[in-house]
Amino acid sequence: MITLDDVTKRYGDKLAVDGLSLEVGEGEVCVLIGPSGCGKTTTLRMINRLVEPTSGRITVGGRDIRSVPPEELRRGLGYAIQSVGLFPHLTVAQNIATVPRLLGWDRGRIAARVGELLSLVGLDRGAYATKYPRQLSGGEAQRVGVARALAADPPILLMDEPFGAVDPLTRERLQAEFARIQRELRKTVIFVTHDVDEAIRLADRIALMKDGRLRQYDTPEGLLDHPADKFVHDFMGVDRALKRLVRVRVDSVMNAAVPTIDESSSPEVMADRASCATQRFAYVIDAEGVVQGWFDCRALEGGEQADAGVTRIDWRESTVRPDASLKEALSRMLELGFRSIAVTDDSGHLLGDVALSGIEGAFSEGDSHIASAGTEEQRP
Amino acid sequence: MEPEAPTSEPRAASTVDRVGAAAALIALSGAVLLPVYVLRANRIVSGTDQPLAVGGPAAWTLVLFAVGAFAVALLMRGRSRERAELACAVGILASLAWALAHAASSLAPDPASPARVSIGLGAWLAMAGAAALWFAATRTPTDRTARTGAAALVAASWLAAGAWGGLSRLSILREYTLQANTFWNEVGTHLALVGISLGLAVIIGVPLGILSSRVRWVRTVSLSAAGLIQTVPSLALLGLLVLPLAALGLPGIGPLPGIIALTLYALLPVVRNTYLGLTQVDASAIDAGLGMGMTRLQLLRDVEAPLALPLVVEGVRIATVMTIGIAAVVAFIGVGTLGVLIIQGLGYQADDLILLGAVPIVLLAVVADAGLRAIGRLITSPGIRVEAR
Repeated sequence: MITLDDVTKRYGDKLAVDGLSLEVGEGEVCVLIGPSGCGKTTTLRMINRLVEPTSGRITVGGRDIRSVPPEELRRGLGYAIQSVGLFPHLTVAQNIATVPRLLGWDRGRIAARVGELLSLVGLDRGAYATKYPRQLSGGEAQRVGVARALAADPPILLMDEPFGAVDPLTRERLQAEFARIQRELRKTVIFVTHDVDEAIRLADRIALMKDGRLRQYDTPEGLLDHPADKFVHDFMGVDRALKRLVRVRVDSVMNAAVPTIDESSSPEVMADRASCATQRFAYVIDAEGVVQGWFDCRALEGGEQADAGVTRIDWRESTVRPDASLKEALSRMLELGFRSIAVTDDSGHLLGDVALSGIEGAFSEGDSHIASAGTEEQRP
Repeated sequence: MEPEAPTSEPRAASTVDRVGAAAALIALSGAVLLPVYVLRANRIVSGTDQPLAVGGPAAWTLVLFAVGAFAVALLMRGRSRERAELACAVGILASLAWALAHAASSLAPDPASPARVSIGLGAWLAMAGAAALWFAATRTPTDRTARTGAAALVAASWLAAGAWGGLSRLSILREYTLQANTFWNEVGTHLALVGISLGLAVIIGVPLGILSSRVRWVRTVSLSAAGLIQTVPSLALLGLLVLPLAALGLPGIGPLPGIIALTLYALLPVVRNTYLGLTQVDASAIDAGLGMGMTRLQLLRDVEAPLALPLVVEGVRIATVMTIGIAAVVAFIGVGTLGVLIIQGLGYQADDLILLGAVPIVLLAVVADAGLRAIGRLITSPGIRVEAR
C-alpha cells in the first residue's frame, strides 16, 4: 500500500532521514518509533508531501506521490497530529466536515457522515456537534481530531502522536478505542509515537529508527524476542516480559464461569451459592448483573454478622474491560492488592474474571512467543 | 488577638471604590464651586457667571446625584455598586442637560437677541466627573445591555431637553444656527476624507499585512516605515508632502495631500493588526489544514482570515478614531473639515465656535468607536470570542 524506497531527507548538513526503505501492507498498522530527532515525524510528513524528500521514491497505492498534486494526495490521506490542530472558530461538526467540504460533498451527506463519525469515536452527536474546540477536554479534542482524519473515509491514516497530549489514563482509553475502530475499519495506518507500550499495543509492525536510519522493522514480538542489536534491545526496555502482556487482551485469558450471588441473598444462601466447600469467592451482583463486590467464605468461619462476608467495590475503579491488556489488568491487581480482578462491560455487567494464575498461565502455555519469555535471557 | 485581623483590615479598605468617590467629588465640586452657566451679550464679550439655581429643579437633582454617587462609592459593594454608580452617572448627565436648558431659556428668553448662555467650567467638570464615574462603574466588564441602556438614556435626555427648546439658546447651538450650512458641509467633507483614507488604508494595508506575515523583508520594511510615519506630527507630515508632490507636478494643498497623509497614518494599525492577526493563528491549525489538503488560498480563506479578522477590525477601529482626529488638522491645507471651525474660532477668539468644531469631532470618534467595536464582536466566531466574565 505504501512503499518508501531509499528515501533521504537532508537539512543542510544534517541527514534527518537516511536511506530509509519501508513497505506497509494494506490494513496494517505500522508504528514509527525512536528517540526524538530520529526522523520519524519527517518520514511521516514526507508521505503526504508536507516535506519533500531530497532523494528516493515514495509510492502510495502503487502511484509515485510526486505524480499527484499535493492537495489531492493529502485529501486521500487522513491526518491526525499530537496538537490536534482543531480550527478554534469552527464547531466540532464543521471541523470534522473539513475534508468532505474540500471534496465538495453535499450538505446531507456531510451531516450524516459527521454524526456517524461522532458515534464512532464515542462522542454523543447531539451534545458535541455544536460545541467549539475550546469547550472540549484534551481527550475529547483528540477524538474529534481522529474523527476529522477519518471524515472522507481515506484508506490510509497518518497519525503523529495522536494521543500524546493527554493524561495516561485517557491515553489508555483512546488506545483501546483506536484498536477497536481499527479492527472495524482496517485502515492502513502509519503511526508515529515515542511510547514503546503504545507501539507494542497498537502495531502490526514496528519500524524502530535512530539518527534517520531504520534499525529494525518487525512485529512487536519480533522486536521483543529477537532484537537486531543492543540499541533495539535497550530501547525496548528491561521490562520486556511485562511489555508482552500489552499484546494479550484480557478476554483471551478471562475465566467466564465465575460463581455469582445476588446481593439480596442471606449469608447462608450466599455461602451455599458460593459453594464454600470447593472455593472461596463468589462475585456479588445486583438484579441487573452489575458487580457490587464479592463474598468471601472465610468470613463465615468466624460466625460474624450477616454482611461481614461481603466486600463492596465500585466497578468503575476496581474492574477491567475485556479489551484491556493483561498488563493493565496486572497493574490494577497489584495496585488494589487483589489476586484476581473482575471483568465487566462498559456498564459494569460482570463478564468473568482474570486471576494472577491465569496470567501466569498465559506465560507458560500461551502462544509460542509468550512461552519463550522465560528462557530467552539464558540464551548464549 | 485574632491572627487574621491585620489582613482583613486593608481588604476592607480596598473595597471602597476610591475612583468612583473621586469622580463623584469632581462632579459635585464642578456643580457647586464653579460657574455652570455663563451669560454673554454676544459672541465676543466675556460673560457673567450665573448661580447654580438658575438651572431650576434639575440643578438640585444634579447635586443630589453627585452626592448619591459619593455615598454609593463609599458604602456599597460589588455588582450593585456598579449598577448604582452607572445610574448616578446617567442622572448627573441627564440633570445637566435639563439644568442647562432651563438656565438658557430663562436667562436668554428672546431667540432673536444675540444674548447667549455658554456652558461654564463647572458644567464641563461635572461632565468629566460623570464620565469618570461611568468608567469606574464599567471597569469590570458588566453586561452590555446595562451600558447600552445607560448611553441611550443620556442621549434621550439631551435630545428631549433640546426638543423642549432651552438648549437652542446655548451658545454652541447659537453658533450652529449661524453656521448650519458650512457646518454640515464640513461634517460631510470630514467624513468623506476619513472614509476615503480608511478605504485606501484597508486596500493597501491588508494585503501588505498578509505579505508581511509571509515574507520577512516586507514585514521589516512595511512595519518600520509605517511606524516611522506615526512619529511625524501631522502638521509636519503635511508640510513634508509638499515637496514630493510638487516634484510630481501635484498641488501641495487641498484634498490630495490630506488624503495621502491620513492614509499614511491609518496604515500602521491596519498593517500591524493584519500581520499580528495572521501570525497568532495556531501553527498546529495551519499544519492540520495543509495536511488535510487545503491549498494556501483555502487555508487563508477558511482558517487564517476568520481567525485574524477580529484583530483586523480592531486595527481599522484604531485607525478610524485616529483619522477622525487628524482630519481636523487637514483644515490647515485648505480642506473644509470640522477643523476649519476650530481654526476660525481660534482666530476670532470665539470659544463657542471652537466647540462647534471640537465637540462633533469627539462625538464622531465615540460613535465610530462603538460601531466598529460592535462590528468586531459580530464577525468574531463564538469559538474564539473573549467572554465578558
